[in-house]
Amino acid sequence: MTPSATLSYLLNYELLGKGVLRVQRWRDERKLRAHHGKPDDPLNPPLVRTARMKELMSRHYLEGRYANGVKKVAWVTSGAPIEVLRALDFVLIYPENHAALCGARKKAVDLSVEAENAGYSRDICSYARTDIGAMLSGRTPVGRLPKPDLLVACTNICQTVLYWYRVLAAHFDVPLIVIDTPFLYQAASDHQVAFVKQQLEEAIPVIERVAGRSLSWRRLRGVAERSKTAAELWLEIMDRARNRPAPMTAFDGFINMGPIVDLRGEPETIVFYRELLAELDARIKKGVGAIKRERKRVLWDNLPIWHQIGHLSRTLGRRGVNVVVSTYTYAWGELAPMMDASRPLDTAARVYLHPILNRSTGDKLRTMEKMVKDFALDGVILHSDRSCKPYSLGQIDQRDRLVHERGVPALLLEADHNDPRAYAVEQGDARLEAFMEMMESAN
Amino acid sequence: MPEPIALPSRREAIARARARGQRVAAVLPIHAPRALLTACNVHSVEVWGPPGVDPEIGASHFQAYTCAIVRNATSFLLAGHLDDHDAVLIPHTCDAMQGMASVLVDFVRPKMPVLTLYLPRGRRASDETYLVAELRRLGRDLTALSGVAPTDEALHAALDREAAADDAVAGLWRDRAGLALSDRAFFTLLRTREFLDAEAFVEVARTAPRGERKQRGIPVMLSGIAPEPMEIFDALDEAGAHVVADDLAGVSRRIYPRVEEPDPFRRLARSLLGAAPDPTLGQPIPERVAMVRRRMEESGARGIVVYNPKFCEPELFYLPLLAKGLAEAGLPLLHVEHEMTESLGAQTRTRIEAFVETLRGAQ
Ligand code: SF4
Ligand code: SF4
Repeated sequence: MTPSATLSYLLNYELLGKGVLRVQRWRDERKLRAHHGKPDDPLNPPLVRTARMKELMSRHYLEGRYANGVKKVAWVTSGAPIEVLRALDFVLIYPENHAALCGARKKAVDLSVEAENAGYSRDICSYARTDIGAMLSGRTPVGRLPKPDLLVACTNICQTVLYWYRVLAAHFDVPLIVIDTPFLYQAASDHQVAFVKQQLEEAIPVIERVAGRSLSWRRLRGVAERSKTAAELWLEIMDRARNRPAPMTAFDGFINMGPIVDLRGEPETIVFYRELLAELDARIKKGVGAIKRERKRVLWDNLPIWHQIGHLSRTLGRRGVNVVVSTYTYAWGELAPMMDASRPLDTAARVYLHPILNRSTGDKLRTMEKMVKDFALDGVILHSDRSCKPYSLGQIDQRDRLVHERGVPALLLEADHNDPRAYAVEQGDARLEAFMEMMESAN
Repeated sequence: MPEPIALPSRREAIARARARGQRVAAVLPIHAPRALLTACNVHSVEVWGPPGVDPEIGASHFQAYTCAIVRNATSFLLAGHLDDHDAVLIPHTCDAMQGMASVLVDFVRPKMPVLTLYLPRGRRASDETYLVAELRRLGRDLTALSGVAPTDEALHAALDREAAADDAVAGLWRDRAGLALSDRAFFTLLRTREFLDAEAFVEVARTAPRGERKQRGIPVMLSGIAPEPMEIFDALDEAGAHVVADDLAGVSRRIYPRVEEPDPFRRLARSLLGAAPDPTLGQPIPERVAMVRRRMEESGARGIVVYNPKFCEPELFYLPLLAKGLAEAGLPLLHVEHEMTESLGAQTRTRIEAFVETLRGAQ
């Protein structure tokens, strides 16, 4: 800890930053409450609690900005078991979330080009390209990303993150902990669970060494408990979309999922999701849907197309189509029942093996079929994401099964979650139009 | 043009295995425990693509942004070319191979069983413990297929034979200058390891034609996934280069270290974990750079051609730092991507010519 870094952290983050962001949130909330939207807008006014999410995420990046020299920083993958890190007070940076943020703010192409100029192919995941570009150029819409003291990559979402973090490890010359989670072609076997648990046990001394202190198991259980509570709340939030009209869209889910990914285990996350749930319940009570005229309800599969969220929600909303839920956002809640904070390592080994991306393509189809039933859906949009092979391979068969065996209209929409150069808007709109007509005629 | 060198064919290898009473498994890239299959009386025949199939058949299951190995292998299977195999084994090499295995298991459901293997991505105690258990699990699946359980003696013996075959690959490289083979013929010979049993391969290596080497020119190293399509050798030859070392996933990256260990499953696990740094195993990039650089320096290679199917993420992630690390040592790198069709495009040939020209100019 250096005195100047500590002073800067206290001043810019604790004293000024937090205060400014709180005031900003009050302003945003006021604006959102007063927002009545244009009469021809197919969407109802946005959720007011989104302002709280913005505050939490901005605070998170602001803390990161001043963290070096004050707190230890770990860069982690979205599916990484972070509870031990959180219990040891690491500031956690999620490059995937950062890349998504760049995508949503239309900065991803510029940053990707930086990476491409350094030799990274346009055929690799656009999150990785965006973030490598930010790393090489030092440019980011969040001001500054702190340098990591430690990297943690968990393969439960893809192998891509392992290669990506090898690049980060070579660049920053810091230790990389790999938590390797064998892909579940079938139900998890004992040796697979034992493998993940043993890796977690092996990781603890490495993390402690970087942290410069020992892990408190009491604190770890506390973090695990809060992770579970937040995941349960998130699941409840997702499940509120079973109501007709649904009080939220999957696009609201994409926007509000930041804290369940980045701030799992923090008390503020629980407070935020409780408030969001209350807002949804108030909407349900009043019969207010996320879109004004919900006629068709649809499932979204795969990552969002970050650069098209606004356009897609309006294009679909105009035809009365509400994308009520997605496999991607649901993934952050569906494992909540598996969590048991009293046995943090055993539970983590099991839970972190089971994200949807680490389960078979057949299992994913069953998950989608169940969601179609539970949420009373009329169709499925499968975003065929050229940047995300693990999520996308299998979708052709999944779509065929949905259409031919279940009679559910389903569309394979070719795009890229973070690279607008790989998405043709007009062509996409035409395909969506045809899909909406197909849904209409299915009834 | 391929020169007349008498080598056993895949078909003959399969027929011989059948005559020995073995089951036959099609094995997908990259790292697979050949010795375990042999100890279970299963003969392995590898499928690297191949080129020359109609990739459109695979397109009914995989998007166009899937690598050609997966699309072509799926097409090959769906076109019935693996119908005479008793099983398909798919190691978890990467996200694409994971997708292929999962789609075959869940949706395509070919008539033969699809076996899977997850290789851990580290070299820690946990990786070894896990891999031993995973290999035992695969052993049970193979036993269910062949009715033969792998005894310790059989597995040790199979490991010895595989180690001898690995030595033979290394030996062929050591003797390269004294083999009367063009690069294309040399690699055709090396690649018989994909379908011959270890003893047969050792014999093929032993009887490789000695004499004056047929190719001369600028020495280069060949890296990437597989030397497929093999027109790469003709293109290099025409450009005035010859291959003096390889770092191909299908060839030298699979020369495993010899391990002494009483438990044969542990011996097999340690040997697999000791593989040369390979992106698909997620090993540190500096280790990979150092290894490639050392091999280039030892072999006298003046540049390296990395030859990959398009959309190969593991390779693509490691390339920029590999190129940078080698450039620092004055060793240029050319990356060539292909669609695994029958022939190389004119543009690729021109790039190869220009690269070799640059190397010549730097002499
Ligand atoms: S490949 Fe897919 S899962 Fe992996 S980092 Fe990229 S978007 Fe995420
Ligand atoms: S390693 Fe590369 S070429 Fe091989 S299957 Fe994976 S993506 Fe395809």
